[in-house]
Amino acid sequence: MAMLKTILGNLLRPSRTRAPADMPVVPPTYRGALGHDASRCTACGTCAFVCAPKAIHFTQDPGVSVSWHFFIGQCSFCGLCEQNCPTQAIHLRSAVPGSMNSAGGDGLRLESLIHLQPCTRCGAAHVPLPAATMDALWAAGAEEVERGYCPECRRWAASARLRNAFLPEGATPAAEGGRHDR
Amino acid sequence: MNLIERVIAISRRRSPWICRLNAGSCNGCDIEITPLLSPRYDAEQLGIELHGTPKHADIVLISGTLTLRSRQAILDIYDQVPSPKAVVALGSCPSSGNVFAGSPLVLSESLDNVVPVDVWVPGCPPRPQAILDGIARAAQLLEDGSTKSQIQGQRQNLGGRLS
Repeated sequence: MAMLKTILGNLLRPSRTRAPADMPVVPPTYRGALGHDASRCTACGTCAFVCAPKAIHFTQDPGVSVSWHFFIGQCSFCGLCEQNCPTQAIHLRSAVPGSMNSAGGDGLRLESLIHLQPCTRCGAAHVPLPAATMDALWAAGAEEVERGYCPECRRWAASARLRNAFLPEGATPAAEGGRHDR
Repeated sequence: MNLIERVIAISRRRSPWICRLNAGSCNGCDIEITPLLSPRYDAEQLGIELHGTPKHADIVLISGTLTLRSRQAILDIYDQVPSPKAVVALGSCPSSGNVFAGSPLVLSESLDNVVPVDVWVPGCPPRPQAILDGIARAAQLLEDGSTKSQIQGQRQNLGGRLS
């Protein structure tokens, strides 16, 4: 009788265990394709350096922009780029890209453009620092106007501040000149 | 297209038989194929069946880095698959060589330079559902007659008739 019940139950149940659309969920910590946030990227090149299969590389359009490139067909999804990114610009998203017909190319290729900004002091094009890094660096003592400076001018401004701190009371501060070579 | 050709085309989609070819893989992709055939992912509901010999297969799954020694094996096995046939490349290795690119015995080139690839499945290794999706796409291409080998065959037929 029990066997008959099982047979009847199996006959009434649908034939498949899971429909193709009803797949096991992807865990949220799954390392899928890369996402890049151009507003947080400083183009330091750490991700391209730590990437063992060389899936990430940078190209530049001098004076205009720096581009971050990623090719999924070369990635081994190890997550080193995310771990080593100093400004958390790279995230491995759990959304997995599907398979790709070869008519559409051999896989996902991402390009992310980082626009250069002119320095507010010397005019040299540089990669702007992300807002969070800026807040951390300028937490104490620096002037607001220095936020638009290029790295060379930032260094110059910091050393000028240091020089002036050693001057006795009432002495004239260092001249505004002191341009860096560019 | 007459009725019989239509039925044949549909049955190509409804029962794609696959043959697995390890071209120098770390076995990661091959291990992901095993759960695909289990009830959890249930590939057989799409008519997918794994066969040991390329002579019974419609779709070849190629996984792994291409090496100097596996290049000829890939060509031989590809030739043994009866037309129409589709090729699915699993994971990152066939498209670039992945971390093994640049090794002296590894062909650091795309599998497309060896045999015509119809579907690329990304991942290292790809998840079983991504592989299932790739096989379903390849089966759809077989039905439409738009795999690379089918298009090439049509061109050759056309050329033969014209000359």
